[in-house]
Amino acid sequence: MFANSIKIGFKKGMETTWMLAKVIIPVYFVVTFIQYTPVIDWIAEVFTPLMAIFNLPGEAAIILVLGNVLNLYAAVGAISAISLTSLEITVISIMLSFSHSLLVETAVTKKLGVSATKVVLIRVGLAIAGGIVIGRVGMLL
Amino acid sequence: MMEIIKEATLGSINSVYTIAIIVIPIMIVLQLMKDYNILNKITRPFNFLSKMFNSSNETALPLLVGLIFGLSYGAGVIIQASKEGNLDKRDLVLVTVFLAACHAVFEDTLIFVAVGANGFILLGSRIVAAFLLTFVLSKKMTSKHNNALDQLEVEKAQ
Repeated sequence: MFANSIKIGFKKGMETTWMLAKVIIPVYFVVTFIQYTPVIDWIAEVFTPLMAIFNLPGEAAIILVLGNVLNLYAAVGAISAISLTSLEITVISIMLSFSHSLLVETAVTKKLGVSATKVVLIRVGLAIAGGIVIGRVGMLL
Repeated sequence: MMEIIKEATLGSINSVYTIAIIVIPIMIVLQLMKDYNILNKITRPFNFLSKMFNSSNETALPLLVGLIFGLSYGAGVIIQASKEGNLDKRDLVLVTVFLAACHAVFEDTLIFVAVGANGFILLGSRIVAAFLLTFVLSKKMTSKHNNALDQLEVEKAQ
């Protein structure tokens, strides 16, 4: 049973990794390409005032959108493609860990009979609050 | 152009590799925990959670499963438990809120650590936020819940 558990666990790990690879690699490619076009400057410029609230550069908006609409793995692909400081990555991680894969996970919570709107509001609210707090506190350190 | 393709290829393979060496061991450990029913055995020390939120002891298992394995697994256990009639509406809302703020703590945390985040700050703020939120809600919902029950009683009496 022990060996079998390890085998199943390993298989699941491989499956998850494969699933991640299918998301991370295309996102990584797209984000890398975008970085060599004027689009990234445009996105950065538009989102700079908003992202400044969290003490993040404008480009970070791409990561937050990917994480919330798709999933964490797409966001991880984008994080590693864009160069960010350790503090910035931590702030983004906190925001995303509260609020991610909103489409899929909201469907799951809806199955439990809890108001979807409320759950989304709580998650996005936590992400914004967490991002502001850690972004500000981190800046002081 | 070739430079960009090379950068994207190497970079993406590198991130997938970093994640693979984290995800595969986690999946093995989680599978062992599941197969050996370790969670069922260790819920007792976590009953303090249900005491704190003033919810039924049955909430400890879905809470623990969701925290460790993720929202979908947690939801599975919650649905199962509520089918068996062990959870009321209030328990359900509290568990869902807690798990919405904080779930799959090993996987989510380590994936971000792999790309350079500070895991202690990340996990710490998630857990603190989930506790605070659920605690506040549990205080608020007690009265609401009782009122609803009282109303039901009144309606029945009429």
